[in-house]
Amino acid sequence: MERLILKLTEKHVLYTTSFAIRLALVAYGDYQDRTMAVKYTDIDYHVFTDAARFITEGQSPYNRSTYRYTPLLAWLLTPNIYLSMVFGKILFIVCDVLSGLLIYRILCLRGLGSERSLVTARRVSSLWLLNPLPMGVSSRGNAESVMAALVLGTLLCLEGRCLMRASILYGLSVHMKIYPVTYALPIALSLRTPETRAENTERWQWRRFIRFIGSFLNTELFLFASVAGGVFCMLTALFYYMYGWQFLYETYLYHLTRRDIRHNFSPYFYMLYLTADGAWSQWLGLAAFLPQLILLLVASWAFHPDLAFSCFLHTAIFVSFNKVCTSQYFLWYLCLLPVVIPHLSLSLNQGVGLLLLWFAGQVILFFVLHLNTTSDMHRIIAHYKLHRD
Amino acid sequence: MMHLPRIYERGLKDSFPQTIKQEGQVAFASLTKTFPITILMYIVLFSMVTCLSTCYCLIDDGENEKHCGPLKQWFESTSVSVEIGKKGFHREVVTTVELSPDVVAEVNVLLIYRWPRGVYLDPYQLAAESDQRDWQILLNSDIDLEVPAHKTSGFVTYVYPTLDGPSPRLLKVTIPIHGRYSEPSFIGKTFTSVNIEPPELLLRTEKCMQLNNLDPHNVMDAPCTADNSSTCSWVKIQCQQEHAPVSFQFPVGDRTLVMPVCGGTLLVTVICCVALSKYMWKHHI
Repeated sequence: MERLILKLTEKHVLYTTSFAIRLALVAYGDYQDRTMAVKYTDIDYHVFTDAARFITEGQSPYNRSTYRYTPLLAWLLTPNIYLSMVFGKILFIVCDVLSGLLIYRILCLRGLGSERSLVTARRVSSLWLLNPLPMGVSSRGNAESVMAALVLGTLLCLEGRCLMRASILYGLSVHMKIYPVTYALPIALSLRTPETRAENTERWQWRRFIRFIGSFLNTELFLFASVAGGVFCMLTALFYYMYGWQFLYETYLYHLTRRDIRHNFSPYFYMLYLTADGAWSQWLGLAAFLPQLILLLVASWAFHPDLAFSCFLHTAIFVSFNKVCTSQYFLWYLCLLPVVIPHLSLSLNQGVGLLLLWFAGQVILFFVLHLNTTSDMHRIIAHYKLHRD
Repeated sequence: MMHLPRIYERGLKDSFPQTIKQEGQVAFASLTKTFPITILMYIVLFSMVTCLSTCYCLIDDGENEKHCGPLKQWFESTSVSVEIGKKGFHREVVTTVELSPDVVAEVNVLLIYRWPRGVYLDPYQLAAESDQRDWQILLNSDIDLEVPAHKTSGFVTYVYPTLDGPSPRLLKVTIPIHGRYSEPSFIGKTFTSVNIEPPELLLRTEKCMQLNNLDPHNVMDAPCTADNSSTCSWVKIQCQQEHAPVSFQFPVGDRTLVMPVCGGTLLVTVICCVALSKYMWKHHI
């Protein structure tokens, strides 16, 4: 077993194997779609393809109902119409393997760069590359691997202090999905001028406070903020010019005000479903937002020296305390987990135990939501399909 | 056309003034003799034309009767039944139409479904799977895929099955439908019922255009084909056996539990927030 793991995690073997497995899954998915009643390809992939088709006809991608993403994604997938339907899936699995490579490079920069540690770095990155969950998600046609690649790219550039590239990638990732905007605070805290020991021992609170505010005014942070902000504003302005208010609403505002009353993994789902049309709906939405905000602020402050860990915590908190949570959201923090694992002080038993606890929570929630008194398995499977859709 | 008597030709040779009166008298006498014959000729001609047109109508009606007559018999032995397949929120409505064995291949069939607001059809799914089906569908309105049941209304679809073979007898149409989320129940019910009425069956044939005397079946206008380019007259069949609507159930929430659910959810999230914040602050880097 040890020899097998060693063989699999050799540099070229690892990436080749992971790409080949994903390719095989894409091929199998195509076969299942053509021959079986239950389709392999996710409904989102069809939404992307339909939106791309509208673009090739010179129309807005938002003519496709339920398309709530950036037009950039539909533009990227126009070869689905011109070349082959499978182009998008190939792009997603390439981004998936690229994410694995980026994880490896980040690990090398975070202390696993020595000769002896490279094997460990590859083993840890195989937690993503040989993980069936990202394999399944990418081969089914979800675009989460593109986000994972952008976020990991941003992190790699920040770890390597290439601020220009980091800021461009960050602006692009915030444009594609809103959630990386939460990383702004830990990034700002890590790029600010560090306090000196003398300043740390100052007794005057207001002086410390002024110095704290002043530490944010440095060239690096200013450069990062202006380039990232510029990229984001430029893309927003371009697509607003092309597609108007509908682009702003579907890509951003819908997600900010989303009250998805259909069942999902969020702890607030049932509460929001029962109070959907009530007078208290807005206040409850705000009440649901506050724990998320408080935890994000505390996590930023407590762990900003370790940027990767801070981003991982941010994403985990954001997903867990969000008003909507579908299974794709788990990949947002899963891609950052291999980066932080080598620095965790958990034992293997504790780690496996926590993982089983996570799975158990998913299963219990699933059964509580769907099990009726007669334990109808068909209804469970049908509801699982609804959730997956 | 009256021919002038030859006496006028003879009269040219005689002396003029004296013979004019004689010639006039002769002409008048000729007229009085031929006028009745002319009238009689016209009467006969008119009768012949009337008779011919009547015969033509009778022949046409005869042809019409030949094609429209069996229609009534087809209608008597036609039936429509509906079943629901699959379980959960994604179901299938299987409609079986039994046509009379004598029905000709040139008949067109139209099924009009009046769907309740608790379900919807995915037009994108229908378009993607259109090449795997032998029927076409026309939707009467845009369908919002995400709105809950209590915020929308029902809609109508026109389904045009393709008849295979020279003697089509049994048609089976399977339509995929999806359940909408319904508002929570105020009275503690955990399920809501959705009823699907059997579709209206309409028939038309190119060979029978005079659609009258087909009681108790009504005639109504509807799109001729799924591309909605023209309207035709269809005969709506009153099936002898009225099949009851099929119903199925979707789970709904229980609004009587709103206070414990809200209280419990907020309590748990606040406790988790406080515990995590405390732990993170204690172990900050």
